[in-house]
Amino acid sequence: MAGISIQNVYKNYGALNVLKEFSLEIADGEFVVLVGPSGCGKSTMLKILAGLEPASGGKILIGDRDVTDLAPGDRDIAMVFQNYALYPHLTVGQNIGFGLKMRGTPKAEIDKRVREVAKILAVDHLLDRRPKALSGGQRQRVALGRAIVREPRAFLMDEPLSNLDAKLRVHTRAEISALHKRIGVTTVYVTHDQIEAMTMADRVVIMRDGIIQQIADPDTLFARPANLFVAGFIGSPGMNFLRASVEGGRLTLFGQTFDAPAGSRDGEVIVGIRPEHLALGQGNVTFTVKPTLVESLGSEKYVYFEPGEHAHSATSRDEERGKGLIARIAHAGPIREGGELLLSFDASEIHLFDAKTEKAMN
Amino acid sequence: MERTRFQSFALYAGLTVVCGILLFPIYWLFVTALSTLAEIRQLPPSFWPAEPQWSTFTKVASERPILLWLWNSALAAIGSVGLSMIVSVLAGYSLSRFSLRGGRSLGLFILTAKMLPATLLVIPLFGIFRSIGLIGSLWSLVLAHATLIIPFTTWMLKGYFDTIPRELEQAAMVDGCSPLGAMFRVVLPVATPGLAATALYAFVLSWADYAYARTFLTNAQGSWTANLGITTMKGEYVTDWNEISAAAAFIALPILLIYLFLERYLVGGLTAGAEK
Repeated sequence: MAGISIQNVYKNYGALNVLKEFSLEIADGEFVVLVGPSGCGKSTMLKILAGLEPASGGKILIGDRDVTDLAPGDRDIAMVFQNYALYPHLTVGQNIGFGLKMRGTPKAEIDKRVREVAKILAVDHLLDRRPKALSGGQRQRVALGRAIVREPRAFLMDEPLSNLDAKLRVHTRAEISALHKRIGVTTVYVTHDQIEAMTMADRVVIMRDGIIQQIADPDTLFARPANLFVAGFIGSPGMNFLRASVEGGRLTLFGQTFDAPAGSRDGEVIVGIRPEHLALGQGNVTFTVKPTLVESLGSEKYVYFEPGEHAHSATSRDEERGKGLIARIAHAGPIREGGELLLSFDASEIHLFDAKTEKAMN
Repeated sequence: MERTRFQSFALYAGLTVVCGILLFPIYWLFVTALSTLAEIRQLPPSFWPAEPQWSTFTKVASERPILLWLWNSALAAIGSVGLSMIVSVLAGYSLSRFSLRGGRSLGLFILTAKMLPATLLVIPLFGIFRSIGLIGSLWSLVLAHATLIIPFTTWMLKGYFDTIPRELEQAAMVDGCSPLGAMFRVVLPVATPGLAATALYAFVLSWADYAYARTFLTNAQGSWTANLGITTMKGEYVTDWNEISAAAAFIALPILLIYLFLERYLVGGLTAGAEK
């Protein structure tokens, strides 16, 4: 096991700069998730880390060893791919033992370790089967087995759950987390799914257009997003954004004026309110809305409403959603679409972003 | 959607007609080989000889060096398939995996060799082989056939390698293989159906050649290939069509056997791109 140090790594394809000055220190045994929308450079970074893509510049250390120019097989890392990448002409046992065989491990030792790992992952009854005879979940476990059998210094995982159905994904997610706790190997995990990132990571690295937006633990990301992008990316449903202005330390929203949170400056701002911070009934700041759509998930309801004449929706996320703002109400009784509904929020829970730089102000 | 009875009938009737058209020449080849000369010339023709002349096959095998010719054909085909596969596996893999400057143009340029008719290349190839003393040697056929086969097999294999996920090689490299090791240990075993289909295509091309054999091999019977030898069986005044047919059956047999042996790989090769 070892920590990983990524120092000023960048990647250009001709004039296209897909990764810009990426620096990250990963502690020994840490589970770090790189997350971001498609094309943000997260998979490129993982491939550079694995040695499958050369970096255009920068330096990578695994432990104390500079691996920047080493071949993938010499880096002592293991990788789990999105499509599993199991060798279709080999049996499950041969797949798991392939890396050991390549390193000249004696056959008896390979057999022993393959059986041990297969038992941990509950695929020991499948050792003689070919990958095509396995289900998606079993293939995923074999791919994990192939990674852990070598006891590498670090695991790299490239969206390993995206080919699984929703139920199996949740199950395998928990399995991977449990496996990491058990063997404690440094893990770098790439996903575009913020829920995976939030549930599995010790720290999350949020990326956009090849640039790191924020590095923090999941709770910090949720509570103190560094900018508008992070605020909108983390949380489900996404944060509501409204245009407003601060004058003399007072913020006007939904026709009401109240003290702006500490750290804010006068001028145009974007206010972020998480859907779960909107509550039914009277509160610190109360306003009336007409729900345009109510979605019931059983234990909670998603109430969609237009911001009204006193507030203006601020980002394209709302346009994508096409349903204005959203409130996430737990344990609510019946809510009628088109009727009047009293909602409120606590002014201390709102987020303020600079309208120009989109950076967080509080 | 389920077929109606009429649709099923039409389908099977159509398939029967197509199979009949495809198989009739082979059937007629054997009928001719087993018939006497009188039966061959009679009108209307008989569709099965009254007394099949099995001795025609033994006569051809004993009176003509047909087995030697077949051996020469086999040597030329195996040599050209071997050479073509080595070149086209490496070239097809490179075209599939590496983005080189001008790589696509180079790939298309390789195909231009296939656009030229074989007869057009005979004269320059003859000049080259004569200057290096290969005329009369089977090596001339091996090299000449390879020039015909490689452009097409390179593109066949490039297409096949394109269907194999790159992650397989990447996984192998992370597991400790070199790029070439990943190709030999993972990509080529996975590509077996494609390799088999391509090799068979190359074998048939070489086996069926006449023009190059006629040009590059000398008049000594011992170096002839089967296709060349069979043409000498047609006499100026008398032609024993039953013997020619028997010899043709000998020539067709290896290809039929190879098809039967490789059939499962060929079907796999044709459908492999359909599943991910």
